[in-house]
Amino acid sequence: MSSRQNPEPMTIEEGCKLIDAAVTKLTRIIEGKPEPPFASHEYIGNYTIVYNMCIQKPPYDLSGQLYEKYGAIFQDYDKDTILPSIMEKHDEYMLRELSRWSDINKIMVRWLSHFFYYLDRYYIARSGNSSLTVVGMTCFRDHVYEKVHFNVKQVVIALIHKEREGQQIDRALLKNVLDLFVQNGMGNMERYEKDFEDFFLTETNSYYSRKASRWIQEDSCPEYMIKAEESLKKEKERVSHYLHSDTEPKLLKNVQTNLLVLVAKQLLEKENSGCSALLRDDKTDDLSRMYRLYHEIPEGLEPVAVAFRLHVTAEGNSLIKQAEDAATSGIVEEQVLVRKIIDLHDKYMAYVTDCFQNHTLFHKALKEAFEIFCNKKVAGSSSAEMLATFCDNLFKKAANDKSNDDSTIESTIDNVVKLLDYISDKDLFAEFYRKKLARRLLFGRFSDDHERSILTKLKGQFGGQFTSKMEGMVTDMQLGKDQQTGFEEYFKNTNTGKPKGVDFTVTVLTTGFWPSYKTSDLNLPLEMVNCIESFKAHYEIKTKHRRLMWIYSLGNCNLTGRFDAKPIELIVSTYQAAVLCAFNNTERLTYQELIDQLNLGHEDLVRVLHSLSCAKYKFLKKEPASKTISKTDSFEFNSKFTDKMRRIKVPLPPVDDRKKVVEDVDKDRRYAIDASLVRIMKSRKVLPHQQLVSECVEQLSRMFKPDIKMIKKRIEDLISRDYLERDTENPSTFKYVA
Amino acid sequence: MHKLSRSNRDKLQQFVAITGASDKNALQALKASDWQLEAAFDVFYSQPQPRSNGDMRRLEELYNRYKDPYSDMILAEGISVLCSDLQVEPQDIVTLVLSWHMNAATACEFSKEEFFGGLQALGVDSIGKLQEKLSFMRSELKDEQKFHEIYNFAFGWAKEKGQKSLALDTAIGMWQLLFAEREWPLVNHWCDFLQDRHNKAISKDTWAQLLEFARTVDPALSNYDAEGAWPYLIDEFVEYLYDKSVVEK
Repeated sequence: MSSRQNPEPMTIEEGCKLIDAAVTKLTRIIEGKPEPPFASHEYIGNYTIVYNMCIQKPPYDLSGQLYEKYGAIFQDYDKDTILPSIMEKHDEYMLRELSRWSDINKIMVRWLSHFFYYLDRYYIARSGNSSLTVVGMTCFRDHVYEKVHFNVKQVVIALIHKEREGQQIDRALLKNVLDLFVQNGMGNMERYEKDFEDFFLTETNSYYSRKASRWIQEDSCPEYMIKAEESLKKEKERVSHYLHSDTEPKLLKNVQTNLLVLVAKQLLEKENSGCSALLRDDKTDDLSRMYRLYHEIPEGLEPVAVAFRLHVTAEGNSLIKQAEDAATSGIVEEQVLVRKIIDLHDKYMAYVTDCFQNHTLFHKALKEAFEIFCNKKVAGSSSAEMLATFCDNLFKKAANDKSNDDSTIESTIDNVVKLLDYISDKDLFAEFYRKKLARRLLFGRFSDDHERSILTKLKGQFGGQFTSKMEGMVTDMQLGKDQQTGFEEYFKNTNTGKPKGVDFTVTVLTTGFWPSYKTSDLNLPLEMVNCIESFKAHYEIKTKHRRLMWIYSLGNCNLTGRFDAKPIELIVSTYQAAVLCAFNNTERLTYQELIDQLNLGHEDLVRVLHSLSCAKYKFLKKEPASKTISKTDSFEFNSKFTDKMRRIKVPLPPVDDRKKVVEDVDKDRRYAIDASLVRIMKSRKVLPHQQLVSECVEQLSRMFKPDIKMIKKRIEDLISRDYLERDTENPSTFKYVA
Repeated sequence: MHKLSRSNRDKLQQFVAITGASDKNALQALKASDWQLEAAFDVFYSQPQPRSNGDMRRLEELYNRYKDPYSDMILAEGISVLCSDLQVEPQDIVTLVLSWHMNAATACEFSKEEFFGGLQALGVDSIGKLQEKLSFMRSELKDEQKFHEIYNFAFGWAKEKGQKSLALDTAIGMWQLLFAEREWPLVNHWCDFLQDRHNKAISKDTWAQLLEFARTVDPALSNYDAEGAWPYLIDEFVEYLYDKSVVEK
C-alpha cells in the first residue's frame, strides 16, 4: 500500500464518493446481506483516504468537513434506514427491531471510528469536539431513540402486565430494550427514569391498587398476606431478570404501600381472620408472615402492634369481667383469675418472642395491655390484694401438701413477680403480702425455702427496700427456733418456777418488721401468767435493753375440755382459751362478769363468745339462746357437749383487714410524697409546679402511682411548714426554703 | 412663701394626694428631687419622719385617751372610742387600712409604737386631721398595689395570735369586707362553698392565692388552668362551681 504520490490533493467530493462506497459495503455486511467481508487492503485503504485528506495542505485540509461527513453518515442512516424499519413494526416485533438496529448501530460506530480514526487522534483532540463514538451514539439517540421510545415503553409495560397476569414473555428481549434506555442516558439514569421508570411505577401503582381492593374484599387475612408475599417475591425476581437494580427499592415500596400500608386497618381488623382471630386461634405461621411483611416497611409494624395490644387488652378485660360476674357475695375466686392471667401472659409472651421476633414494639404493647387490665378492681378487691391472696394460698397449700414439686412452685413464683411488674400499687401489694405472711408464719406451716425464694426474686426485681421487712420476719422465725431451745435449756438448768404441766412456746418478733398489732391488757388465767413471767425472767437475763410487748391476739392454745361424754382437745386462740378457763372456777358467768374479769374490749369479747357458743361447736351454753351476743347474756359450761372427733380446731374469724391496710398504705404514701418533694426541691432549689409534680410522680412510680391531688395537698402542707414557698413574681413556681 | 409655677403647684397637689404628706414635707421632698415626682416619692418614703416636740406631745395625749387603764396598749374598748371619735363604724374597712398603716400585729389591739408609727406615717397628730385622711385611706383600697398589700396584711392581722391558720368565720367576714371594695362576682359562691364543703381554717397560702385567682381568672373560668399550681381548695372550688352549674364546663 502506498500513499498517493500524486501531488493533486483530493477534494471532499471525491473523498465522499469513496467513503460512501465503503459505507454501503459496510452496511450490507452488518445488515447481514450477502457481501464479502472487507479485505485488509480495503480496510487500510479506507483509513488512508481519510488520513490523506486530513494531512493535505490548506485549503485542502479537510478534517472539519470529514467530521461533518461522519456525522452526516449516521444521520442519514438513522433517518433513512433504521427508523423506518422500526416504525414499521409493532409490539414485540418492534422491540426486536429496535434491539437489532441498536446492535447494528454499535457495530457501525466501531467500524467507522476505525476508518475515521485519524480524526479522533488529531482533529478532535485539537478542536475539542465530541469523539467519534459519542457522535455516532448521539445520532442514534436523537434520530432513533427519541422518536420511538414512547411507543417502546408502552409495549414494554404491556408485556410486563402480561407477565404479571401469569403469561410467559421474552425476558432477555426486555432486558436488552431496557438496557437501551439506560445507555441512551449517556452516563446518567435520566432517560431510563423519565422515559420508562416513571410510567412503569405509575402503572404498577394502579395495578396493585386494583388488586388490593379486590383481594381485601374477597380474601381472608392469611390468604391476602400469602398473595402479598408472592407479589413482592415476583416483583423482586422481575428486577433481577430485566429491570435496572435502581428500580428495586422504588418498586417494592410501591407494592408495599398498595398491598400493605393503605389497607392495613382493614386487613388487620378483618372479622374472623384478622390479627385478633389469628392470635386467638394460635396461627403462628400467619402471624410470623404478618411480622415479616410489615417489618420491611418503615413504621409498618405500628398498626400491627396496636392490633396486638387491643386484642390482649380485650382478652384481659374479659377475664376480669368473668371474675366479676362469678364473684358471689363479694368474694372473688382469685386463685382462678390469677392463674388465668398468668396463662394469658405466657401465651402472648410466646407470640412476642416467636412470631414477633422479640421486637421491642411488641414487648411494649404487651406491657401496656397488661397494665390496663391488671390494675382493675374486681368486686372491690384491688389487683394488689388479689395477687397477695394468691401467693398466700399457694404457699399454704405447698407447705401442707409436699407432693407439689418445687419447679412448678418456682415457675409460678416467677410468674407472680412478672405480674407484679404490671401492677402500679406495688406498695399496697407489699402491705397485704406482709399481713398474710405474718399469719402464715405464726399460724400455719410454712416452707422456709419457698418464702425465701419469692423474697429473693422480689428483691432482685424491685430492690432491697421492698423486701427488707418481710425478710426480717422470716429471719425472726428462724431465730425464734433457736430462742425456744435456749428457753428450754434455761428451765432444764435452773428449774425455777417452771409452769407445771404447761408446754409453752414464745415467738419473739422484731417490731418494725411485723405489721402493727393492737396490744390488750387481757387478764390471763394464772397458769398462763406463770409462763409469761418465767419467760420474762429468762429474756431479761439474755438481753438487757429490749422491751417485750405481749400480743395475746396472735397466740393459740391447746386445751382439754373435760366434757361428760369424753375429753376433747380444743385448739383455740389465746383469747378463746382465756374465756374458757374462766369457767374453771365458776359454772356460770354473765357477759358483764366476763368483761370485768378478763378486761377484754367489747368487740373482741363478742367475737370470742360467738365462736364458742353460737357457732358450729357450742362449748358454752348461752342464755337466752339467740344467734347473737348481747350484753345481758349469761354463759355456762356445756358439759353435755360431745363430738365424734377427739380434737377440734375452733378458728376465730379474723377481722377484715382490708380497710386498715389501705389506710396504712395511704399514710406511708403521704410520707413518701413529702420526702420525694423535699428531696427534689432541695437539689433543684427553684422549680415550676408542673415539673415538680411530674418529677415527683416519676420518682415514686417504682412503688405506686401517686394521686395528683394528694401531691398538691402535700405541697401546700410543706408550704405551711415552711419547707417551700411560692415565688413572689410567679406564684406557680416554688422555691426551697433552706 | 415662694411663688410656685402652675406645673409645680400641680405636682405639689398630686404629691399630697398620693402620699398624704403635709404641705411642708411635700415641698421639701419635691425640692430635694428637683421637682421630679417619682424621685420625690423615693425621697419622701425613705426619710424618717421628723418628730417635732409639739407633735409628740399631742400624740401622747391622744394615746392616753384610748389606752387601756391596766396595760400599755389600746384594746377593744379604746378602739371603739377611737372609731366613734372618727365617726366610723368599727366594722368599717377603713379601720383595716388604719391598722395597716400602723402595721398592727393583731386585730383589736394597738401597741403604743404601732399607734404612734401609724399616725406619723399618715402625717397626722389629731383626730381632726385623722378624720380628714379617711377619704384618702379609702382611696388607697382602689390602688392595685396597695390593695394587694392590705389584703395580704389582713391575714396575719385577723388571725388569732399563735395560730397558723385563719378561722373560717373570720376569713369569710374579711373576704366579704375586702371584696366589697373590689367587685369579685364569685365571692358569695366562694363563701358558700367553704361553709358547705370545707369547714376548716384557711391557710396563708390559700388566702394569698385566692387574690391571684380573683385577679387573674375570669368569672366564667375560661382561662382557668386545671394543671396549674392553684391550691387544692381552689381546685375544689372550681369543681363545686361546675357541680352547681354556676359555670358551664
